[in-house]
Amino acid sequence: MQAILTTLLFVAPDWVVSLTRERRPNAFWAEYVVWPLIQIVVVLFIVLTLVAYLVYLERKVSAFMQARLGPMRVGPWGLLQPLADGIKLLIKEDIIPIKADRAVFIVAPIISVVAALVVLAVIPWGATWATIANVNIGLLFILAVSSVGVLGLVLAGWGSNSKYSLLGALRSSAQMVSYEIGMGLSIIGALMFARTLSMSGIIDAQRLDGMWYLMFQPLGFLVYAISALGETNRAPFDLPEAESELVAGYHTEYSGFRWALFFMAEYSAMIVTSAVAVTVFLGGWMLPGVTGTSLFGLGPISNPTLHTFASIIVFAGKIMLLIYAYMWFRWTWPRYRYDQLMELGWKWMIPAGLANIVLTGIWYVLALPKSQGGVFGLMQEERGRLIPNRWAGIVYFIVTAFVVTIPIVWGLLVTINRRSRDFNLHDQRQLQMQLRRERLEKMLQEQPRPAETGVQ
Amino acid sequence: MPAVKTSAPKRTIGQLLRRLLLLDLFKGLMVTFKYNARALYEPRDGGNPNQAIYTEQYPLEPARVSERFRGAPRLNLDPENGTTLCIACDLCALACPVDCIEVGSLRREVREGEKVNKKKVLTTFIFDTSRCMFCNLCSEACPTDCLELTQSFELAVYHRSGFRWDREMLEKGINYVRYAK
Repeated sequence: MQAILTTLLFVAPDWVVSLTRERRPNAFWAEYVVWPLIQIVVVLFIVLTLVAYLVYLERKVSAFMQARLGPMRVGPWGLLQPLADGIKLLIKEDIIPIKADRAVFIVAPIISVVAALVVLAVIPWGATWATIANVNIGLLFILAVSSVGVLGLVLAGWGSNSKYSLLGALRSSAQMVSYEIGMGLSIIGALMFARTLSMSGIIDAQRLDGMWYLMFQPLGFLVYAISALGETNRAPFDLPEAESELVAGYHTEYSGFRWALFFMAEYSAMIVTSAVAVTVFLGGWMLPGVTGTSLFGLGPISNPTLHTFASIIVFAGKIMLLIYAYMWFRWTWPRYRYDQLMELGWKWMIPAGLANIVLTGIWYVLALPKSQGGVFGLMQEERGRLIPNRWAGIVYFIVTAFVVTIPIVWGLLVTINRRSRDFNLHDQRQLQMQLRRERLEKMLQEQPRPAETGVQ
Repeated sequence: MPAVKTSAPKRTIGQLLRRLLLLDLFKGLMVTFKYNARALYEPRDGGNPNQAIYTEQYPLEPARVSERFRGAPRLNLDPENGTTLCIACDLCALACPVDCIEVGSLRREVREGEKVNKKKVLTTFIFDTSRCMFCNLCSEACPTDCLELTQSFELAVYHRSGFRWDREMLEKGINYVRYAK
């Protein structure tokens, strides 16, 4: 594991090292300054352009799903629409409401967008040199920093001094805090298999285990996907900006480029959560038969540079699939009610995540090698970490995940949520009336009517 | 929450499975996905209400109007010799409920072969589209199929005087504005 990590740490290409006139093992400037700066510029440029075009894609997808055409007038098929939107937002008047808290109002969108963009640093965009910072706590870093984004929303809602903004911020803080727990819990099952928090390490672990963690952790992926929808405030959980109730939620008072910053934050959060899902559950930049089949990820493509580009394309393709799913859900499903949202977060996602961790742990311990106290002995040690046997171990984990874990967890959730299955006031009222009638009848049977006694 | 028995009817196994597997959600997803996929490959299909994209990009492409639509008036010409079909009988003006047609005519000697006949000949024809209610009674009254309400509908003008269409305009048709991208 250590050897792999050190090879992954020094990634600057030769031309960068020759640029700084340094020697390979100690190329400080090349490894830590010049090459990361180049990467940062490239990644920021690509992601921000992508964000602009995601807005275009969202408008097109929504239009097609509603039998419309979408933007068509700016450029061919409206392809220059994001450019026009960007220019328009840049030259708009910068409005700050008089009663707003000026400092907070200005800082809020910056916090939001910075939190969303900083995490791009640790995402493994591709094999070898395509990660900006290969941090060994990458996943923890992403979860920690992206939750700072809530602060931006809360400050925006508070600083705007408007009831819609405040309500939106109130909802978003409650929602994002509760869905963050489910999100964190859902990942832990996969981390038990990966045994590392490094993003590249998780991808490498999936290569060594010979299976994407989607197959070992279907429930984890499901919980993660739902929580990610809630975490990024996307429909069907878009309550913080429910346009039919709250105008635009926390960014009601924002316009121009400050508003665009919130938009950018939302769409880069979509990219980040999809990237985490791809990394943890969908094998990162690996695609059987194309990329990542041997130690340094060289499959049928033998040229390392070409292979890295292929891996970047694979990673981006998987992200785009998930983002399409985001849009698909948004334009299909109606919004949750607030109490339903909280119920789903606390009474379904969190118990499911917890139960998944416990059950995964049990299956994992049972499958340990017999020398380490396991029962089935379906795992073996390889390069300092345990991997499931081919193919008995892999089949064991897939079967336990799909056939055993999911029904058990489902039964558990049904038991937990039995009483509050429906928020059915009518039925409860009918029952109350029936109980009162029975009580009255009982009273009448027990004691004779006062009127009758009075006559005698 | 206290134990509350609900009077809701018991679910059948089919309903339970539907709910368990979230079938209704996936059904909705399939509907939107089908629309999305069809929008990508299906060619546009005129006025078909079931086509994948129903939007009509009106100024860029001709707008669809129904077969019986009554719009701008036209005086038809004889396709053989290019003279007007109108015999100045004034029936259209009589039929018009809002009196928006004025037919001007002259009695004149007209040579037809060897004979010389005295005949009514059309001189002016004024059609006020600002008063017209497009009822088509004039067109039905016309004995020679000369006056006709066509399907073009872009009748907006910049000045009120533009609503009074003279004979030349009625015979040639209006210059439609073409919006170029």
